[in-house]
Amino acid sequence: MLKKIYIDNFKCLVNFELKFDSINLLLGNNGVGKTTVFEALRQIQFFVLGGWNVSGAFPLSSCTRWQNVVTQRFELEIEGNGGIYEYILRIEHKAQQSYIKYEQLFFNNRLLLNFNMGEGEIFNDDNISVVKYSFDQSLSMLPAITQRPDNMKLTWFRNRMLRFINIKISPNQMDSVSEKEQFLLNQSVDNYSSWYRYISQDQGKVFELINYFKEILDGFVSFKFENFDDRRMVLNARFSSEQDKNKIVSYRLDELSDGQKALVALYTILLSTKSEDYTLCIDEPENFLALPEIQPWLVELYDFCSEGKIQALLISHHPRLIDYLVSPSGEMLGNYFFERESNKPTQVRKLDHQETEEGGLKMSELVARGWV
Amino acid sequence: MGIVSYRRVQIVVLCEDRQQEVFARYFLKKRGFKGNITYKICPSGSQSGEQFVRDEYSKEVKEYRRQTNHLSIGLVVLIDADNNSVRKKLQELDALLETLRKPNEAIAIFVPKRNIETWIHSLQGEIVDEETKYSKFVENQSDCKPYVEELSNQCSQGSLNENSPPSLQDACKELQRILPLKDKL
Repeated sequence: MLKKIYIDNFKCLVNFELKFDSINLLLGNNGVGKTTVFEALRQIQFFVLGGWNVSGAFPLSSCTRWQNVVTQRFELEIEGNGGIYEYILRIEHKAQQSYIKYEQLFFNNRLLLNFNMGEGEIFNDDNISVVKYSFDQSLSMLPAITQRPDNMKLTWFRNRMLRFINIKISPNQMDSVSEKEQFLLNQSVDNYSSWYRYISQDQGKVFELINYFKEILDGFVSFKFENFDDRRMVLNARFSSEQDKNKIVSYRLDELSDGQKALVALYTILLSTKSEDYTLCIDEPENFLALPEIQPWLVELYDFCSEGKIQALLISHHPRLIDYLVSPSGEMLGNYFFERESNKPTQVRKLDHQETEEGGLKMSELVARGWV
Repeated sequence: MGIVSYRRVQIVVLCEDRQQEVFARYFLKKRGFKGNITYKICPSGSQSGEQFVRDEYSKEVKEYRRQTNHLSIGLVVLIDADNNSVRKKLQELDALLETLRKPNEAIAIFVPKRNIETWIHSLQGEIVDEETKYSKFVENQSDCKPYVEELSNQCSQGSLNENSPPSLQDACKELQRILPLKDKL
């Protein structure tokens, strides 16, 4: 579980720290930095997984615009593998060049990786230094490390970074055509079909998903991939005909409505990641959903989080979601209210019980009035 | 395209707090209620949970009776007895209605005494009484899951532990009363 993030000098986040629980709701007006937290997490994830070099993930333009500081600092604290991981990354931008000043990974306060000004050092599971070498100052060291029996702690962290799903669903971009399996779901979920190909290798997951979709989509029978051309496949949703239950009517994924595609994506994510120590960061999950669909999905998510099967970070402006999550007995919830003035850094405060219990109005009404 | 989704609420659960909601959900799921359930719990910043349930109860029954002509729906209510008797609590809820509940109406009322925590502590094997205020399961509301699922089995098989609090035994009878109505939902 992601326990903490620290961000300094990234867009509107300056000396910014946020601690997380199993289910978290980020509230606040537009432009106060909620989505920027998700963006920072996504950049760190891609950087650590080797998708980007430092200037791709953290260009100079990502530094806080109104201050003249050229160093950025990011920290993650993740609980798992029987302990606490702490990842620290410091970046400097000089003369149009961006480079890593240091990158460190600790497990229970003991170093696993130490990269400092071009010199890297790796420690094994017994905290003994096993190798020192010079390394490219524009890349994270983590992707280059080969998994071995004596570095399981270090590689566990890298594998955990794969298990962040960080999305804002754009149903109109969800393509039914897939070229190959993809482990990571893109921010817009446009690669849903390729991601579904990956998760459908687990037949148990597919079985559970199909049964679930049968309950929420009238007449749904199954998903089926068919050849599109010699290298691509197309994902079809198959439904039984209203008149003849044995007759199957197929629709390409992209032919479903935006709401149905969003629903398919949300439930697939929920059901296929539970019990696998995932962190789901979902920006406005309720977008595109019909009103009766919001609470059932939220209740499933709540139960999975409550049972420790998943962690969720949500951004939402929807009253149904706000009032459900900001409830009097929601101690396991991290509900945060973001505020910011123009050209000033984001301030955040946790909504405590007193704040939600003292007044006479629902939290969504207080938010709508700007009274929080 | 040709596919339309309808998600219609089939059961409304009206209760005081999140612990009651979670308890009801595990119970209903285990009992095989697969339909769409919506939960109404006392919102933050509102009055007491007990007052909330009382305020909403008559509205929900009124709407249930209006909708039940053309929809198969059910209403499940949880309200703590606190210092009162279960019987008195039920009478208080009855007094809020223009017409009393009828046996064929899928309206079930569960009244934990002293409160839902009493039931959970009992299900976890503690010897409890219905007067003591037992500790809440702060941050661990889902801990009750295996016990509630076991309770659900015991209730339907009529094998509830005879040392269970009387209010829990009443609740099992209430469940058995409404079980036949489940198939209509």
